[in-house]
Amino acid sequence: MADAASGSTDKSVQVKLVLLGEAAVGKSSVVLRFVSNEFQPNKEPTIGAAFLTQKCRLEDRVLRYEIWDTAGQERFHSLAPMYYRNAQAAVVVYDVTKASSLEKAKSWVKELQRQANPNIVIALAGNKVDLVQSSGASSAGPASPESEDEADDATATPGETPGSSGTEPDSLRQVPKEEAQAYATEAGLLFFETSAKTGEGIVDIFTEIAKKIPLEHILAASRGASGRSGVGRASGTQQEAVNLQEDANKPKDACNC
Amino acid sequence: MSTISTALRNFKEPTKEQLTQIFFSLPTVPSDLSENASEQPEKMEINAVLSLGDGEEDSYAGKLHIMPPYLAFTSLDRKSVRFTIPLSTIRRVERLNARAGIYALSLLTWHGMKIIVQLTSLRPTADLFCSMLRDSLKVELQKGHMKLVKSFVKTCYSEELVSSSSNVADNEREDGSLISEEKENPVPRESTYHGGLGLKFKFPGDPKKLRESSKIKLWTTYLRTHGRNLTLMRYPQCTRLVQVGLPNRLRGEMWETLSGSIYLRFSNPGYYERLLKEHDGKTSISTEDIEKDLHRSLPEYAGYQSEDGIGALRRVLQAYSFKNPELGYCQAMNILAAAILIYMSEEQAFWLLEVLCDRLLPGYYAPSMHGTLLDQRVFESLVQRCLPIIHDHFQAVDVQLSVASLPWFLSLFINSMPMVFAFRIVDCFFCMGPKVLFQVGLAILKINGEALLQIQDDGGFLNLMRDYFANLGESAHPQSADPRARAITRFQELLLVSFREFSVITDETILSERKRFRSEIIHSIESFSKRAAVRNLKTLGRFTKEQAGLIYDALYKAMCIVPPPPTVAPPPTLLTTRDSGEEKPETRIGLRTFQYFLSEVATWARDEKIVMNGFQQRVDREVAEHEFIDRLFFFWDIACRGALSFQDLVSGLDGVMFNDLMENIEWFFNLHDKNKDGYLTKDEVLTLSESFLFIFRYEVGDAYLGAVSRFMTNAFEYGDALLPQPESKPGEERELLSPPPVASNQPYLNLATFRMVVLADEILESFFETDLSASFKLQPLPEMELPISSGGLLGDIWSTIATDSNKKMFNMFTDEIGKTIGKHQVVHKPSIGRYTKLEEPKARESLLTPAMRKSPSRTSLVSVSESTVAPTVSAASTSTLNVTIPTAESNKALPVVPDSAALSALPMIQAANAALMERTPFAIDDAKDDADDDDFFADDDDNDDDQVMDEVDAFLEAHDSGLTDADKKVANDLLHAEPVK
Repeated sequence: MADAASGSTDKSVQVKLVLLGEAAVGKSSVVLRFVSNEFQPNKEPTIGAAFLTQKCRLEDRVLRYEIWDTAGQERFHSLAPMYYRNAQAAVVVYDVTKASSLEKAKSWVKELQRQANPNIVIALAGNKVDLVQSSGASSAGPASPESEDEADDATATPGETPGSSGTEPDSLRQVPKEEAQAYATEAGLLFFETSAKTGEGIVDIFTEIAKKIPLEHILAASRGASGRSGVGRASGTQQEAVNLQEDANKPKDACNC
Repeated sequence: MSTISTALRNFKEPTKEQLTQIFFSLPTVPSDLSENASEQPEKMEINAVLSLGDGEEDSYAGKLHIMPPYLAFTSLDRKSVRFTIPLSTIRRVERLNARAGIYALSLLTWHGMKIIVQLTSLRPTADLFCSMLRDSLKVELQKGHMKLVKSFVKTCYSEELVSSSSNVADNEREDGSLISEEKENPVPRESTYHGGLGLKFKFPGDPKKLRESSKIKLWTTYLRTHGRNLTLMRYPQCTRLVQVGLPNRLRGEMWETLSGSIYLRFSNPGYYERLLKEHDGKTSISTEDIEKDLHRSLPEYAGYQSEDGIGALRRVLQAYSFKNPELGYCQAMNILAAAILIYMSEEQAFWLLEVLCDRLLPGYYAPSMHGTLLDQRVFESLVQRCLPIIHDHFQAVDVQLSVASLPWFLSLFINSMPMVFAFRIVDCFFCMGPKVLFQVGLAILKINGEALLQIQDDGGFLNLMRDYFANLGESAHPQSADPRARAITRFQELLLVSFREFSVITDETILSERKRFRSEIIHSIESFSKRAAVRNLKTLGRFTKEQAGLIYDALYKAMCIVPPPPTVAPPPTLLTTRDSGEEKPETRIGLRTFQYFLSEVATWARDEKIVMNGFQQRVDREVAEHEFIDRLFFFWDIACRGALSFQDLVSGLDGVMFNDLMENIEWFFNLHDKNKDGYLTKDEVLTLSESFLFIFRYEVGDAYLGAVSRFMTNAFEYGDALLPQPESKPGEERELLSPPPVASNQPYLNLATFRMVVLADEILESFFETDLSASFKLQPLPEMELPISSGGLLGDIWSTIATDSNKKMFNMFTDEIGKTIGKHQVVHKPSIGRYTKLEEPKARESLLTPAMRKSPSRTSLVSVSESTVAPTVSAASTSTLNVTIPTAESNKALPVVPDSAALSALPMIQAANAALMERTPFAIDDAKDDADDDDFFADDDDNDDDQVMDEVDAFLEAHDSGLTDADKKVANDLLHAEPVK
């Protein structure tokens, strides 16, 4: 990548996004699915944080996500501020088959809301939803033994998942969608249930975040002012890179309604 | 839901002796592993000149240490030559017959290597050393350790190499696999040496490119003449050979030899197997975490795609987590363990992991990861010092060094660069110590300096580093006309820059930098966990975050003084049905810690004596112990866990600190209503009165005593009066002996009555209205000092002077003098301090209607109550009441003697209070700090000089033996000297 070292010359808008969540909820897999549309059974572990980039086109704009995928183990917690500082967006991931992971997610959200950039857009993602979908409804049959192994290796906690093949899938679910949804609404978060394995909901997270990033409002405002001319649009795009930086420094309440 | 750890405060700077042990890679902790931890064998060091039997190496002057069961030597520059050998490998010691005045010993190892040491200290010292050596050798012989050597060395590949070098080295195939040998020799010799997964799954890298066979040859030659495994003598050639990369088959053993983990394996035979057996089938949070990562550790290596590798990795990581449950398992350890298991057996890897976590990467993997954070800070400071332009640029564009460098240190570059290169850095790391990580890190930044000055953000930094690491195998100078320059890879360049330009970074640099930043790091970790703990409270109650922070501070201080029992993680259940909130271990404190905690926040929970002895005025604070405090502890323990969490304390305090009059009365009532039936029993009324007396114990004047006394009178009077069938004529003597109408453990007084009784008294009313809530004070605590880190000689002296016990002795001393000159005064500081004069508020008129009264006058009321109380008191067997009530009575009559003293001392009390708040620093403290600073800078200067010197001779390969020519001649003569007859 020619532009790797110098993001500022890039025409696209850079968005720093951080992934947080309990160990083994599938943070890395979510990123991998988004960045390269893959599901990799044996992924290198995350020490500190992994760094990936992905461009994302939204309507007429190009966002360049700089994704910081953090280590999930509890003792790495104290390192997290290093990664979420200046982040414009965060995806807090939990595992729908593990109730405690939602608790951890909540505490991450709390921490982000208090310690991180005040404008940060936070999305809550309940991952591994493929494990709780009945095989008929799911498009990507979660019960096939091969893919199950993959899930084991990459994201799921061994010893928890094996029960899935025999029993009714829904019994694995420990976090009802409604509960998480209610919490997300209350805390002002975007909410998704996702599966890094099937790809369900993954792109949606990043698209919705892109929409909610404050500069959207700025762009909309400038668009409204300059009309719908092509020139206006171009200048709007030009401006937004600048605006983004201002935005990071200035508290804006535009999005945190 | 958080754990609070005070472990970081227990850190002590290593002593000089420990530093020596660390330098010689000796096991630092004798603890449970060694057979006799109790008896510390004597140690000694002596000036000596070392020569090697075959005369191939120069002689070196240095220091010879005897640290049973080891003998160790280092040349004066502490880097050219060194060895650490177990005494049990020495088979014969002879005094050499040489020129007059020369005192020399010849040591013969089990494999016949002759080590000659000329003891150059004074004769008596040399004699002492010899006798100590003799004794230690005898001990080793008696313990039978000598016999263990032979069987142990069979586990070492080096012995195989040396004994059959012609066979192995020549027949070995380039890829280092065993297959060739097996095919060519139908009956392969019994190979018992330890080896890693690489023997079966091949080693990473192309053996031809790595020039395996020539490396093996060079090492075989070296090991034959310089000892190997337990007896390796490290001459400059050894370090050079390590720097060009260890051969794969020898790598594992050399790692354990160079790091010293081989001594652990040697002295703890069978420990690893036993450990696994003892813990077979046990699970913990660590083992769960380990399971998650097993398949994510070097997954591209063939060995970890098979159960062989996964199993070995699991066992080693689990064994370590069992051995060190406090550390348990930290991500990144899986990478290290997976890497070393390619080259070592499980047992070897286990002990190497121990050395890594304990000595080489101290605190890196601890739950707080303080070592990692500290070394990142140290690294940053070194960058600032050595590469200021890069550092300034990073500051300017707000790029954090750690985003890239953290994984370098945490996983020894293994997941940052291609494995073949990372392993060569690991080679140097084990040989030369942790400074290598810093040197390589600095070199990486320096080499990429130009490009780094172009980066604008963290992402750019990481991408640059990623590209650099991916191309380490490329030529460093592709444009150069000189083919030799073209042949230099970027990796070679990296090592050259590391060891040449950054040889200024020494072990001492790292140690002193760590010392410099340690308290900063500890403070930041502590404030981080404080923030997290406050944030994670389920409810703050009516407290602000800052107030909760003060509660946390008080709790933390109490925990430092009385550490709670270790946080026990709830045992994992078979199913994951458990309540999510219970999943994580939470710090809970016991009663003892609670007493300390409460003494910080509640004025009555501490005994504060203001001592004036004419020389000084000080406040001695002690933690009060009383049943009332215990009661509070259990009252706040809502979950009935026998221990309180931070949340319990916050909620508990919330329940009292914001109360108004009525709420406080109710709170106090409930506190004493044990069975929560809404009634106090008579016993409980007495206990409650005792609680009053406890809280009021240091109040000036007798107003409170009177109030409590009236309270009791009224309580029992009203209590009786409100009973369905009141007793008649309690005033008469005979009635005293009759049993009370209500048994002492039966419901007696309800809240309404209690309230009425309390409100009947002005003092109690004001106590409940404001004083009770106000007696809980959340105040910022003075910053707690970290354990004194001795800074050189001066620091040592000061720290020995300024110990707590010395302060105590000083205090006692001045007290004694004060007593002799009649100026010693001790005044208890009141907990409430409402009354500073001996005024006595009047009791209010009784609320009872005359008809309800049993006695018409107040005086008789008192006597009645006394007579009612007396039997009950004795039944409850409390002595306090019996004693205090008469006192209270008598106080009323007489002018109070002790109180007058208290009165006159009042201004002094206030002064003392002010002093207490400011916590006057001792003159000694100040002086010490200064001394520390001075010392540090002095060190620095020395370092600079050393660093310059180091730079000059580091890569000249002229290793100064520290000997004159004449000395050398003597040493050479010794090689051929005969033993003394």
